[in-house]
Amino acid sequence: MNDLPQQLANGLLLGALYGLIAIGYTMVYGIVQLINFAHGEIFMIGGFGALTAYLWLPAGTSLLFALPLMILMAMACSVLVAMGAERFAYRPLRGAPRLAPLITAIGLSIALQQAIWAFYPDATKSRPFPEFEGGRIDLGAFAIGRGDLFLVIAAPLCMIALGFFVSKTRTGRAMQATSQDPDTAKLMGINTDRIIVTAFAIGAAFAAIAAIAHGVKYGEVNFKMGFIAGLKAFTAAVLGGIGNIYGAMIGGLVLGLAEALATAYIENIPGMSQLGGGAWKDVWAFVLLILVLLLRPQGLLGQRVADRA
Amino acid sequence: MTTNQTHTIAPVLPVPATAARLTALVGALATLGSTFLAWTWTAEFPGDLTVTGYPGGLQVLTLTGALLTALFALAGHGVRGLGWLVPGGKNSPVRLLALGTFTTTWYAVLAITVELGGLVNLEPGGWIAAVASLVTLVGALGLPADVPAENPGPASGWQRFTHAFKAPAPGKAAPLPSWAEILIIAAAFGIGLFIFTYGIDTEYAELFIGFLLLIGFGAPAVARAGLNRRLGALTATHKNVTVTAAFVAAFAFPFTQSNDAYATIGANILIFATVALGLNVVVGLAGLLDLGYVAFLGVGAYTAALFSGSPSSTIGIQLPFWAAVLAGAAASLIFGVVIGAPTLRLHGDYLAIVTLGFGEIFRIAMQNMDGASGPDITNGPNGIPNIPDLELFGFNFGEPHNVLGVELGRFSNYYLLMLFFTIIVVTVFRRSDQSRIGRAWVAIREDETAARAMGINAFRLKLLAFALGATLAGMAGTVQAHVTFTVTPAQYKFVEAVPPNSAFLLAAVILGGMGTVSGPLIGAALLYLIPAKLQFMSDYQLLLFGIALILLMRFRPEGLIADRRKQLEFHETGQLDAPKGDIGLSKAGV
Repeated sequence: MNDLPQQLANGLLLGALYGLIAIGYTMVYGIVQLINFAHGEIFMIGGFGALTAYLWLPAGTSLLFALPLMILMAMACSVLVAMGAERFAYRPLRGAPRLAPLITAIGLSIALQQAIWAFYPDATKSRPFPEFEGGRIDLGAFAIGRGDLFLVIAAPLCMIALGFFVSKTRTGRAMQATSQDPDTAKLMGINTDRIIVTAFAIGAAFAAIAAIAHGVKYGEVNFKMGFIAGLKAFTAAVLGGIGNIYGAMIGGLVLGLAEALATAYIENIPGMSQLGGGAWKDVWAFVLLILVLLLRPQGLLGQRVADRA
Repeated sequence: MTTNQTHTIAPVLPVPATAARLTALVGALATLGSTFLAWTWTAEFPGDLTVTGYPGGLQVLTLTGALLTALFALAGHGVRGLGWLVPGGKNSPVRLLALGTFTTTWYAVLAITVELGGLVNLEPGGWIAAVASLVTLVGALGLPADVPAENPGPASGWQRFTHAFKAPAPGKAAPLPSWAEILIIAAAFGIGLFIFTYGIDTEYAELFIGFLLLIGFGAPAVARAGLNRRLGALTATHKNVTVTAAFVAAFAFPFTQSNDAYATIGANILIFATVALGLNVVVGLAGLLDLGYVAFLGVGAYTAALFSGSPSSTIGIQLPFWAAVLAGAAASLIFGVVIGAPTLRLHGDYLAIVTLGFGEIFRIAMQNMDGASGPDITNGPNGIPNIPDLELFGFNFGEPHNVLGVELGRFSNYYLLMLFFTIIVVTVFRRSDQSRIGRAWVAIREDETAARAMGINAFRLKLLAFALGATLAGMAGTVQAHVTFTVTPAQYKFVEAVPPNSAFLLAAVILGGMGTVSGPLIGAALLYLIPAKLQFMSDYQLLLFGIALILLMRFRPEGLIADRRKQLEFHETGQLDAPKGDIGLSKAGV
């Protein structure tokens, strides 16, 4: 099993990606108790935004130089869509029975996916995404792709920035207060509407970063990529304890590791030789979700937000 | 009812009432007459609108709309013998019908102009129809409002417009002999069957759009007139007659079809509707959001396919159909419990995501079990083809049979078989809805904490609802496998252009109305027919579907057929802002 370090590295990279997307689910859920099914599509739109920015630049521009513009553009697209969705789809339904916003979220998810499919040029099939040139980087025990470097740098930076924002800034503390008790927070003079929009926007910005990481890692974006990524990210959020932003990252890493290890090693277990490999990795991620819900429903780190149901 | 405190509200157009009624009536009759003229010169436009003296295609729809407008206008005027038509609103039905006739007619005229390339293609008949329907609408908008204004003072144009479509509830009907009441119920279902059959049999997209427009305005018009409530009161007193009439009407459908092509649509709608009704137990009654419901249908279908004796089945056993149905239902039940047991202890939102995941995983697993990337069970993406037709008691479902002089083709046979399962699901739904269990589900849905405090074992009952829903879907799946010949993983996606899939099933329940029997049936029929008939917009179908879902939740979350409880829940009509005056009193039974 000397490829274990390699599998662990793969798992952590995948996990960091899930974790970045999961932040969006967990922040929104922590504040308005809404599963934003459309978050996966916001991630996907970030990817297309970055691709658009890259295509604007003269052909042959080095990806490294294009990256800042791509990040800005991806974030702008994702954040705009998320804020628009909050304002026009979710906000009018605040106070409605719980089923209503969930169904709106599903409708939104389908509509966004189809809008890209129908209106983005050539998006009916996968669009190639720019990749860093050069082979994999050998780090002795394991190797990582050049595209993964972006994730290795971006994910920790994002987490540190988010941790600082939530615990140190005024808006961040207002956010914590709102998630603990929105009514009291309102009485204390916090503009909860603004906090909710901020939560959507931050989640979308992180999803945009994740979309670029996904693009440079796999070398393509497509209109369907939000669905399964969103599902995985939500699983990660639940794993870590939904509503807990650090939990989302931890949950992502655990999920990524579990997936990588299951892909590599399940087939070595006697009697399960046919259930390993990449084709079954989604199934194992799902089994993990069921197991966590069965054994530790509050998630690995537990919910920081009291369950008000 | 009228006291000096009520405020009158001006009609949309300031015209004396008599003049308005006369205008509407004359306009409606002129519209009616115009349908007998030629609207265009060439038969290139579908439906052949060139014949003078014989309305065809879209003209028939305009004719129907104009006839109804004229009838309701006369009835609203108090013409003897027509009073039964308008026990509720007198003028709002006329307005809605005039609007419906107007949109249908103008749609037809515009379609002719656009498709044939220019106004020159309109014959005088078309011009007359367009003008006459506009005149009708103008007259109808000049009729006084049916209900007094809620607030004193002048109202804006938009307020007057929306107010013009409000109508009071009808009073209590004079009792009729019960045979007459039963006849009325039978007639109502006959009309329903006719409308449904007409919709299925529309041969081209223009006619179907016209049909939808007319129904879209006609149905609320009938409701404003108070006929729905009157019929509701009758069906409530004759429940068994109603259920029987409904199934006789459904049973009669294949006998109206000369062509098996449309019977296919009927059979598919019925499968879709039955599964949606099963989902309604889960979503509508117990309030559990199941986003992977189609997977349970898939479990049933795959089970039936494996035991069907298909040459491609990896299991060489052929079970009799009843055993396959039981096996499919049991397999779905097991999956339902496995998925539900860990999830239902938790907060409701977890169920949504776990079922969504399960739906995907089911599909992936079926795709992988092809012998290459997994055990060899399901043939992977190719699925299990060549599922043989059923043969029950010597009746082969694959062959046409001559019953009562009508040739029933393959899909008509399966339609009738499916109808049997629909009856089972409807019975289960109704019985559980009215039982202790159903009331407990509603209590859990409304407030789980309070329900627990009342001694309800919430977890067990939620699991029961979830597993029951899964079992019903599994049962329907066993029939579906035989109807479609082939089961493939691609049939069971979360969202796809072709129903049934999880998103469409949920949408059928919500569009129709949660917690009702007729809601999912109507929702399923609409959601199946609209994509099937309007092929030209197939590229934007799902986009429109998503947008429609958002708008539906925003503006009419209780669905087309509203459960009274749901309506209150979504619109939060408390005691204080309950409808005023005569409506409130009649609801309270005074």
